[in-house]
Amino acid sequence: MLVLDAGNALFKSRDSGMAPDARPRAELLLAQMDAQGTTAMAVGARDLVLGVDFLRKQTRKSKLKLLSANLVDGQGKLLFPASVVTEVGGLKVGVVGVSPATPEPLPMEPQATGKAAGSTMRGLPLQPAIAAEVKRLREQSKVDLVLLLAAAPYVDVVQVADSVEGVDFVVQSHEGRGSGIAQRQGLTTVVPPGDRGRQLARLELSVDGPGRFVDNSEPLRAKENLRIVEMSLSKARERLQSTTDAAGKRALTEAVASLEARRTALEKTAGQGATQAPRTHLLSYIQLGADVPADPVVQKSVERVEPPGSAAH
Amino acid sequence: MSGRPLRLAALAFLLLPLVAVAAPKKLVLLFTGDNGGEVAPCG
Repeated sequence: MLVLDAGNALFKSRDSGMAPDARPRAELLLAQMDAQGTTAMAVGARDLVLGVDFLRKQTRKSKLKLLSANLVDGQGKLLFPASVVTEVGGLKVGVVGVSPATPEPLPMEPQATGKAAGSTMRGLPLQPAIAAEVKRLREQSKVDLVLLLAAAPYVDVVQVADSVEGVDFVVQSHEGRGSGIAQRQGLTTVVPPGDRGRQLARLELSVDGPGRFVDNSEPLRAKENLRIVEMSLSKARERLQSTTDAAGKRALTEAVASLEARRTALEKTAGQGATQAPRTHLLSYIQLGADVPADPVVQKSVERVEPPGSAAH
Repeated sequence: MSGRPLRLAALAFLLLPLVAVAAPKKLVLLFTGDNGGEVAPCG
């Protein structure tokens, strides 16, 4: 099992750094992500609110790696590792992180009112930064799988998906698009991670050779639809037998023919679908509602940041 | 008793690990994103 975060995890908004609970909240989140075995997180715009030094200090002793293949300092040096390689389930997995591209340099640390900006940072264009890192992972690290954690605007991520080869899955964060379906986009598959801690996305992969990943949910959906179509077909046939008027018989005959055609198409999808492909994926979500019991120790830490009865509750 | 069944059994035993290796590799990814500073379901 591999636990990852697509970024924009730590702060409510880009200008929420002055809120009294902003720092302890971000500290708690980073500590818990590490404790829960998160391997890597991309650095997004809403993670940089208290600056680069804050993130580096908070994760100095963590196993959690903060990643960005395109966030550089004033000298063009990467501020975080571009990627991490890990072995899970007999597969060598490369995880790349990316931050938003910025047209202008930005202050690396929060600015005190009336003070001039000190060190600056910049988000380089996504496409060349990702392409170079993916090439390195494929050719030098010989990874079986490349995952891109893209903490960048969706429109930019789509451009990357259309042009960069070698990425198996892109998990995007930035606008809070929520949960959804795994979408084939260009050369890769874009997967929504959910938002606001309301769900945990679960992507099940099966690898039995090379090639593109095929969505395993299609045959499963087809099987479910097939069941419904067969029920409708049975009812339509019963009515056809008991109907005596010519117009009714004609309409029902057409309905039966249409349902039979639909059944044939669904049988094809359900029978020879993704289950036979060498590489398949299946996306689902675990909803984290009140029915999921809280860990008492974590609950105490949360209540220190957000006491019961506070405005946020 | 002929040695052939024994040899076949030995061959099958040797091939068994190869068959096991050929099983598809499975990996589960769990991920989150856009958490936006949330620390509790209601917060």
